[in-house]
Amino acid sequence: MRTDVMRLDVRLRRRGLVGYTVGMGAYAVLVVALYPTFKGDTGLDAITSGNSSLSALLGVSGPLTSPDGWMNANIYANFLPLVVLLMTIGYGASAVAGQDEDGVLGLSAALPLGRVSLAVQKILALVVIATPVAAVTMLAAVAGRRSDIDLATGPLVAATAAVIGLGIVFGLLALLVGALSSSRTTALGVTSAVAALSYVISALAPVVHWVHAVRWLSPFYWALGGEPLTRGIGAAATWTLVLCIGGLASACVWAVDRMDVR
Amino acid sequence: MAPGGRASSSATSVRTDDLTKRFGTRRGVEGVTIEVRDGEVFGFLGPNGAGKSTTIRLLMGLQRPSRGVARVLGLDPVADGAAVRRDVGYLPGELALFPRLTGRETLERLGGARDLRDTGWRDSLIERFGAEIDRPVRTLSKGNRQKIGLVQAFMHRPRLLILDEPTSGLDPLLQEEFSRLIQEVSADGVTVFLSSHDLDEVQRLASTVAIIREGHVVAVDTVDGLRRTAPQVIELRFAHPPRTRFADLPGVSVTAQGERDVTLGVTGPVSAVLRAALSDDVTGITARPVDLEELFLRYYDPLTEEKDHAH
Repeated sequence: MRTDVMRLDVRLRRRGLVGYTVGMGAYAVLVVALYPTFKGDTGLDAITSGNSSLSALLGVSGPLTSPDGWMNANIYANFLPLVVLLMTIGYGASAVAGQDEDGVLGLSAALPLGRVSLAVQKILALVVIATPVAAVTMLAAVAGRRSDIDLATGPLVAATAAVIGLGIVFGLLALLVGALSSSRTTALGVTSAVAALSYVISALAPVVHWVHAVRWLSPFYWALGGEPLTRGIGAAATWTLVLCIGGLASACVWAVDRMDVR
Repeated sequence: MAPGGRASSSATSVRTDDLTKRFGTRRGVEGVTIEVRDGEVFGFLGPNGAGKSTTIRLLMGLQRPSRGVARVLGLDPVADGAAVRRDVGYLPGELALFPRLTGRETLERLGGARDLRDTGWRDSLIERFGAEIDRPVRTLSKGNRQKIGLVQAFMHRPRLLILDEPTSGLDPLLQEEFSRLIQEVSADGVTVFLSSHDLDEVQRLASTVAIIREGHVVAVDTVDGLRRTAPQVIELRFAHPPRTRFADLPGVSVTAQGERDVTLGVTGPVSAVLRAALSDDVTGITARPVDLEELFLRYYDPLTEEKDHAH
């Protein structure tokens, strides 16, 4: 299996990849380091306890001062997925549609490789791009065991995988929309809108009855709705994400195979 | 040069039959039928927007035809795209490169994807064109980017070169260098498909020419053949205004008409024109073959075609 195009695309995103990873790592270390200051602040718990609407809007559940509650509220429920999605949606929109608009996709497509290989290598690059930010955050959380952030390894790995999986889902969606429309703007716009809607559905599902009924439509719900940092990730959620990724990846291969490259 | 090809060999390097591409309501190319023999330099001439780049993208398997067939090195460029592209060197029109990479990294990555290990030939091309390879591509002029584009097209010693407006942005000295390179690789048996809107360039390099206009190939011939079948230009001067309506004579078109002089384009025998001119007391006559520039414009200019149809 050739990986030339995958490595080329990762190289082209290197600056952003390093920047986001360093920035997120620094933020995660800060959050971890601040925990001992806040862990005894019962007033913080009072804000969300008994107020499920506020909890829902913050994307948290349970006490804010527990290690998992603290990490969830400050990193895993909102900020980390946002950063990972910025990177994966950005790459997904650029990988095919953006490069085609810039006239450089033809350089890769004129290499001695088939379209299926081209598409698969783009998908692998997406996986590579989705990983470092979540991985460095996990390392910061592991290092947090020195400052009383005592997270169990299983749920921490599950939450990390869930965020990466979520990023891949929306990155693939951007790649697919881009391959179908040949427009980076369309890919970014459609995917960002779907991601925002998906987030809102997942966040409001616990408190709004009709939203609760459609929560299964939201990848955010499957990835993060089950509080993976506390409880790990269940088989149903795992399979849903895996099937979602498999379906979108297959659709991407099909769309890249039939697209006209400039 | 000993190009190491894996695609099957054939007497024709490129063959298309009724090759058609439509983009919704936008015109692409319609019914393109051409044949490029092994080892020849084939000129593909047409104005900007005529369909040259679309045809080339179909040959590269970058786009799928709406109708018709393309065979490149004996293979289908879509179904067997990887095998075809292994043996083809491609320079896109309006070349874009990865802006943040240097020329060196661009060439190394594209070469790496082709398993290019012997970089001696590549380095000689870099030197020959004076390509600036240590600066990020985004800081380079169009001409300097074009040099990198040319090096990447030639560097793996392809059996077939498909070059879309290759001298665009190059100064005259480098255009000369490019011509020499084409002549060298052609002498080594490499087939060249060269698109251009520059007649001089094609005339200098190509043995066969196809002219494409508004998506249709309107002429395919050798450069000599085009000259042979080209109309003669005959200018006649008279003592009195002539009575003959020259446009009514067979194979004659009037390109300019004064009171006592007339300029004609004549295809076929000129005897009828001469007889009519004698009866009208002709005082002077000049005849010359049409030059390729005029011929080219004749195929380009829709008004010329309408006049031809009218006659």
